[in-house]
Amino acid sequence: MSYQVQQESGYAIVCLSGDVDLSCSPEARKTILASLSRGQHTLVDLSAVSYIDSSGVASLVEGFQTARRKSLRFGLIGVSAAALGVLELARLDKVFPIHATLAARLEADG
Amino acid sequence: MSEAAPPKLREAPELAASFLADLTQEFASSLDIDETLKNAIDRFMVHLDAEAASIFLLEDDDTTLVCRECAGPVDIRGLRLAADQGIVGQTVARVEPRIVRDVAEDASFAAKVDADSGFATRSILCVPLAVRGRCLGALELLNKRGGDGLFERNDLELASVVAAAAALAIHNARMAAALVEQERVRKELELARHIQESLLPPREGAEFAVHGVNIPAREVSGDFYDFMPLADGRVYFALADVSGKGMNAALLMAKTTSLLRCLAKSATSAGALLHEVNNEICERSTLGMFVTVVAGFLEPRSGQVELANAGHHPALLRGADGSLRSYAAGAPPLGVLADIDFPGERIALDGGTLYLYTDGISESISADGAELGVLGLSALFSDAAPLSAALRLDAVVAAWRAAGYRSHDDITLMLVEVPKADATRSEALNWRFTADAMQLKPMRERVRELGLASGWSDKLTGDLVLAINEACMNIIEHAYGPDNAGEIVLEILNNENEVEIVLTDFAAPIELDAIHGRALEDVRPGGLGTHFMSTIMDSLSYTHLATRPGNVLRMRKRLEKAATDC
Repeated sequence: MSYQVQQESGYAIVCLSGDVDLSCSPEARKTILASLSRGQHTLVDLSAVSYIDSSGVASLVEGFQTARRKSLRFGLIGVSAAALGVLELARLDKVFPIHATLAARLEADG
Repeated sequence: MSEAAPPKLREAPELAASFLADLTQEFASSLDIDETLKNAIDRFMVHLDAEAASIFLLEDDDTTLVCRECAGPVDIRGLRLAADQGIVGQTVARVEPRIVRDVAEDASFAAKVDADSGFATRSILCVPLAVRGRCLGALELLNKRGGDGLFERNDLELASVVAAAAALAIHNARMAAALVEQERVRKELELARHIQESLLPPREGAEFAVHGVNIPAREVSGDFYDFMPLADGRVYFALADVSGKGMNAALLMAKTTSLLRCLAKSATSAGALLHEVNNEICERSTLGMFVTVVAGFLEPRSGQVELANAGHHPALLRGADGSLRSYAAGAPPLGVLADIDFPGERIALDGGTLYLYTDGISESISADGAELGVLGLSALFSDAAPLSAALRLDAVVAAWRAAGYRSHDDITLMLVEVPKADATRSEALNWRFTADAMQLKPMRERVRELGLASGWSDKLTGDLVLAINEACMNIIEHAYGPDNAGEIVLEILNNENEVEIVLTDFAAPIELDAIHGRALEDVRPGGLGTHFMSTIMDSLSYTHLATRPGNVLRMRKRLEKAATDC
């Protein structure tokens, strides 16, 4: 897995790519939570994720809950088919705000 | 009466109470009973106002009374009486106190003791040392000092209380000594067991031809198995059962296994090997002990086995097609008759498996009293046939236990087969890897390759990858934990209409009841893995390894028939 964080349109966008599994999900978790602890609205871009396991999904759930507590905006964008399958299996596809692109998210934010 | 003489107890009840309290306390806290009795006996004599006192204990299976401690002018320690002899003997036999006010008038008095010791006995007070009705011996007091020199009822009551405390102390000290002895024996047996375990060959991976398990019924086993590759490429193997149980069987087992192993390196055939070992054992045999053995050599390239059976249960050959053939003993057990022949047998495995066993399993009894028998055992072998050779015997023992069979005898199983040439061939996977998160990605890649080779749909492959990954994560995180990266064995079997996945770890057995998924409404990190596995797979079952610490997760997924219409 690799990741990068960029700032765009009022969001910190955490872009994960490759396999998000037990060997690297602690790093993904730390990155997402660090962004939120800086008080930034955060989106996680999963378009380049080829595999995600339950530990990766757990990091997203923790980000989602932390954002709610801090009243920050949180969501997923560009979810790859591989990642979406796992989110659906966990029935989290209806819990996370999911948009195809940042533009779609901004439009939904209004 | 001199000034130094202590007050008489019966004349000073408060002194009696304090004497008794001290004494009982001392007895209750003593584990060195010899020392305690030695200190107490003088006080008995003085406080009970007697010229002499002695404690006799029953020994030699209660046939003899031996004087263990005494006080007074004559030392009679070590004096032995028949258990029914004299006043002491009568007291012990009846478990009742006795006063003989004047021995001259009592026929049961053993006058010989006086004659031998030079002590002139006039009056005797004797009370039994008994705990819960069981008599351990007696406390005897001789010749009252004061008054008319004869014991009275009061003396008897005091002596009885003292004796009760002493008896309890002796009893407790003996129990403590027995416990210490028991612990010593237990430790020695444990050591013997460790040594015996070290005589068994190490476990081998799936690529090896011979595998075995041994479950001792007691601390030490009379069964054994052994195997080793030889310099010429052949593999030696043997399984044996020593007559009898316990330590003597274990010692003969150690001797036999060493002889077999040593001579196997130069033996020209299985028959010649048993011939030589038999002569060695007969030369120095313990009368009535013998060893039944199946020993042989496998030529892995040709799949040819050369086998000899000395009085053991038949070897079973389960053919690749599921057929069964048995090979019975051609000679009596080792250690019975010297210089006899052990005919060898040549067997072509042809892709089949040769199974050897001891009667601990074939003659085991189910909960409803039915014997497993050779047919039942063969059925267990057949059920486990799809599993890799390295795990099959564990699975057989687990299935045997699950079916409710129990055995009071050692259980030993062994299998011999030609290892599959390519363990990663396309239709199945058998892979051993370290329980480390960094190993998950290579594992997923292997499973994906297998999916491609097996013609699974992308969805099925993705689902199975996720389920296996989650199962491996559980093993890494929960079974082994952070400081203990053991091994994981992943096996994938393409059975008819289903994929079967078997994951084995060698961590401490997990609590099977504690495994459960979480409710999905509960949105929180963690606990998702088990949900993924149970959603994807049609069945999940957890068992413990039967013969060593470890867990086996078996997952099955039915294959959907490809849709033929559009």
